Amino acid sequence: MSALQGFFRPKTVAEAVALLAQDPDAKPMAGGAPLVAMLNARVIEPAALVSLAGIAEIQGISVLPDGRVRIGAFTRHRDTAASPLLAGTCGAVKHAASQIANATVRNMGTIGGSIAFADPGLDYPPALVAAGAEVEIAGADGRRSVAVRDFFVDWYTTALEPGEMVTAVLLPAPEAGAHGVYVKHARVAGDYATASAAACLAKDGSVRVAVGGCGPTPLSSDEANAILSADRSDASVAKAGALLEALADPLDDVRGSADYRRILIPRLLRRAVRSVEGQA
Amino acid sequence: MNAPQTLNLRINGESVPASALLHDTLLTVLRDRLQLTAAKRGCNQGVCGACTVSVDAQPMRACLSLAHNCEGAEVLTLEGLNNDPRMQALQHSFARAGAFQCGFCTAGMLVSARALIEQNPAPDDAAVRSALSGNLCRCTGYVKIIAAVQSAAAALREEVAAS
Repeated sequence: MSALQGFFRPKTVAEAVALLAQDPDAKPMAGGAPLVAMLNARVIEPAALVSLAGIAEIQGISVLPDGRVRIGAFTRHRDTAASPLLAGTCGAVKHAASQIANATVRNMGTIGGSIAFADPGLDYPPALVAAGAEVEIAGADGRRSVAVRDFFVDWYTTALEPGEMVTAVLLPAPEAGAHGVYVKHARVAGDYATASAAACLAKDGSVRVAVGGCGPTPLSSDEANAILSADRSDASVAKAGALLEALADPLDDVRGSADYRRILIPRLLRRAVRSVEGQA
Repeated sequence: MNAPQTLNLRINGESVPASALLHDTLLTVLRDRLQLTAAKRGCNQGVCGACTVSVDAQPMRACLSLAHNCEGAEVLTLEGLNNDPRMQALQHSFARAGAFQCGFCTAGMLVSARALIEQNPAPDDAAVRSALSGNLCRCTGYVKIIAAVQSAAAALREEVAAS
């Protein structure tokens, strides 16, 4: 018998956070995958679920007056993968969305639900780090935003406090002549990434990269970014790859051994850098 | 107390009252309460695609959709697509191509394939593979399934050209 005793469908963020504040064992629910999968397997037994599907304010992608792009937390992967607003370095996020699981799951899953889950094999986290995203969070005390590098804290752990929910992802204003890519290595189509890399190339030649699947949170390094921004020769890409590899803390699991993931880091990074150059 | 509550679902174009516990999935309600058993319970984890149904005109996992979250949505199962020309063409071509062995994945394959040819009447093989990549088949090796979707799409294009 399930412990679930309440199911709520609020229409506003204020109603949702009030419901979450009322009951510490209530969980917000976005697209439902993987939350319902865990419910089916009885891995989690929340007392109540707060469905975010009816909140118009957190749906869809828009451009803010200052040019930044706002992806509402309940925006489905399908829509993120197809949005013409995600240009320039935001392209890395769009590219990552197009490679999540399969078409059916992309019809269900949302960006807010995905990043709040914070599985290390997810596709969005490294793309968001490379793109320099911020995460907008709502709680009973109001809104705050954190840099995405600070949002991912540990294995399956984010900066969300109890009672808080993700309301949006904010991306820097796209500039013409900038590009972003996401490169994924998985065992089969539709699987979580064994390891992945994202690369963003700004119009002025500066580069920002991040690696996914190789530790509790996406790997990134200001020093690696500085090396690649100055020079993108094979030697520099290898040096940046070695820096990121030194930060890695990969798991040995069914998707690959820790050693295998370490081997993948410089290779995926090179592929991502060459691919983003190819778009310029 | 998690007692069953009556939901008003929209299934195959009709308003259907259904009794559901809070944690019941759409799949549980379809199969176990309404006896609509085309959608299959395979993994119950969103991996295999045997439970694929159309929700608001998009293929989705019935096993990952809570029934209480589906109030207000238009749910279409294979049972409701008997008279749909795209579905008829697909069923015919699956049978002709021998695109199944045990048949467990077929209902989900058909729902995903119908959504594809609705959106893209002339898909290439890569588009078919991509659209069906969330539907696992452990028997056929997929080759005949892809051929069947292509032949249904071709037959539908011919019908449109002839009309």
